[in-house]
Amino acid sequence: MVRQGQEPKKIKSLAKHEAVWGWVLVSPWIIGFVVFTLGPMIASFLLSFTKYDLATIKFVGAENYRRILTEDPLFWKSLTNTALYVLITVPLGVAGSLLIALLLNQPVRGQRLFRTLFYLPSLVPAVASALLWQWVFNADNGILNQALAWFGLPNIEWLQDERYTLSAFVLMSLWGIGGQRMVIFLAGLQGIPESYYEAATLDGAGSLAKFRHITIPSLSPVILFNVVLGLIGAFQIFTSAYIMTAGGPNNASLFYSLYLFRNAFEYFKLGKASALAWILFAILLVFTLIQFRLSKKWVHYEGSTDRGGSGA
Amino acid sequence: MLPSALKVYRLSQATSISNRPAQRCALFAMTRSSKNHRSWRALGLTVATTTILLNSGCSQTSSVSSGKIIEIRYMAWGNPEQLALEEELCRLFEKKNPNIRVKFLRVPGSAYGNKMVVMLASRTAPDVLRVDHYQFAHLAKKKYFYDYTEKAATDPEFKREDFNQLAYEEGIIDGKFYGANVLFGAPVIYYNKTMFQKAGLTDPFILWKRGEWTYDAFVESAKALTKKDKAGKFTQFGTIVPAHPLWFPFVWGFGGDLVDPAITKCVIDSPEAIQGLQFVADLRYVHKCAPTPSQSANSAFTFEGGKLGMEFMWMGMTPRYRTVIDSFEWDVVPYPRGPKGDFSAAKGNQLVSPKDTEHPEEAWKFIKFITGPEIERLLYIDNRRCYPTRVALTKDPAFLDGSKPPSQIRIFVDAVRTAKPLPINERWGEWSQAMNTELDNLWAGRERNAEVVAKRAKAAVDKVLSEEPGW
Repeated sequence: MVRQGQEPKKIKSLAKHEAVWGWVLVSPWIIGFVVFTLGPMIASFLLSFTKYDLATIKFVGAENYRRILTEDPLFWKSLTNTALYVLITVPLGVAGSLLIALLLNQPVRGQRLFRTLFYLPSLVPAVASALLWQWVFNADNGILNQALAWFGLPNIEWLQDERYTLSAFVLMSLWGIGGQRMVIFLAGLQGIPESYYEAATLDGAGSLAKFRHITIPSLSPVILFNVVLGLIGAFQIFTSAYIMTAGGPNNASLFYSLYLFRNAFEYFKLGKASALAWILFAILLVFTLIQFRLSKKWVHYEGSTDRGGSGA
Repeated sequence: MLPSALKVYRLSQATSISNRPAQRCALFAMTRSSKNHRSWRALGLTVATTTILLNSGCSQTSSVSSGKIIEIRYMAWGNPEQLALEEELCRLFEKKNPNIRVKFLRVPGSAYGNKMVVMLASRTAPDVLRVDHYQFAHLAKKKYFYDYTEKAATDPEFKREDFNQLAYEEGIIDGKFYGANVLFGAPVIYYNKTMFQKAGLTDPFILWKRGEWTYDAFVESAKALTKKDKAGKFTQFGTIVPAHPLWFPFVWGFGGDLVDPAITKCVIDSPEAIQGLQFVADLRYVHKCAPTPSQSANSAFTFEGGKLGMEFMWMGMTPRYRTVIDSFEWDVVPYPRGPKGDFSAAKGNQLVSPKDTEHPEEAWKFIKFITGPEIERLLYIDNRRCYPTRVALTKDPAFLDGSKPPSQIRIFVDAVRTAKPLPINERWGEWSQAMNTELDNLWAGRERNAEVVAKRAKAAVDKVLSEEPGW
């Protein structure tokens, strides 16, 4: 016989039971996060106020930050290189991914094959693709210069001439536009109800108008997501520069992460490297906050009532 | 990179905002005492398992000693053949010392430097490890290494006079002996004998024997070996611009230097040093007998490929060339004689122990074994891995045997005799990188005048050397 009063207690214990299991199941992630992400982050924040070379440690206040910001020309050089790279590759990359996603969303024969083909490059490991691109950029035998030669253009020393190195890295970044970002766009495109387009067609809208007034607003959260992630990713460009040019020529491809890596693992200036990491973190945070603030003006969330989205 | 991880985390948090109340509920449930023991036991089990897993990943410190057998750990890098040889050395050592086991840790060369530093800093380094001399001074100054001064001074099997003095002294920092030298050597010129014969040129070895192997003779040979096809495209180069630091002997050959003896300031802007730099750069842009960086990109002109007449390279390249080159004959010759004499550069690696090793006696035994006559014979005579540090071996007929290339091993002896130690101090990585960033403008032809570049390089190096280290 179960008395009526016992019923809620049983439910409660069931909830408790589930909650405990929930924690058990997420514990590997939580432990991993605390041990390998949060812990090191706190440590690096504290280290950024020290002079630390793995042997001796000394508290120096904000001296690392002062020296980096006022006395370090390579900091500014690497930041400028990286900012230029981000400024060009992020808009170009997001637009390119969107374009490819639109193309691959067309109901044509061999759609699946095309999707696979465009996604393939992103399966190549970063190191392998860096080595591959070294060949593409080869001044004497590279296919890029051969293609230029068909149009009567002169040979360019992509990776040896500091005027072109950054462009080479931008070109290389476009190799990834068919990757994950494109897949996210594709998923976004398929989430747009067909009825919107039908209604627009009935109203006599052309395909450009439909793109402008239906596709873009409906995709806007996905665009924001891709821009934010793209910006963070682009700011952290490292592998390709580390392998292809090692920051050269004349520091033309010294990107921020590469400079940070050198300070940490080549010069063992761990205090300075930690400070560099936190400066990058601050920069990314500011950019992301700006984007979220701006996004209120153009991002349209399905089902949200408080913001209509002026573009819609 | 850390900040990104947090950012992505933040983002994922933002997107899964609907899960939050559930989480809070779960937290609440957990903080309250529960009678449901089964769940708690499961939780405890998971935490314990995870902790064990995490620990097993990090705990490499203990060197188990069961009974009287002591295990020491040894770490080195190399290509697969070299690592197989190292493994063999460990087994040979165990045969001689049945109460000691050697566990050999293989770390890929590209990750070795970082791994070693992290291990030393976290006090988990193996009992014996090989350190490239480029990093040795830097790490010795941090007091990471076991001080073997007394052992080296008193051990009758490790007499200083048995060793090449340059090799021995490399292991001394601030008057203390931290490591015995292995894989010691100097760079020489490897040359394509067949290519010289086809071009009808006098063999460099004959020129050297006659005392005519000068900078001029070198340039003339290199120019004569450089070939173009009908379209004007280079198909073969006489030589290359030597990589850092293999161009140093040319600065010394004119009577210049890179830094002052105490390594407190850069002197690469002296007229003599500038002459040396200009000589090297002119190989590319005046004599056009060495490929530019873009011409040589993607290994377009390699010695083993038979497209390069003369190459500057360490002696340790010999085993590789013996196995991969079969389409032409090759040999070695010293650097050409400069206006101020013959010069090469010397460098080795050090076998060291971490300061807090639990088995200094066994570790020292192992170091002594690797640098002992028997193993040096195996390494440097049977395998031609590098150059013996024991003087007696360099006079051994077996060492001087030239039945397999290179035929003139006395060239190696001569190169080491004329070698100057590289100016490596604890800030070598930093100041040489500052210098090379400037010099790269000369090597890549963006600036053709060595004087301009040398002045900028001096300023850059002096800035590094005058700063307090570690900032």
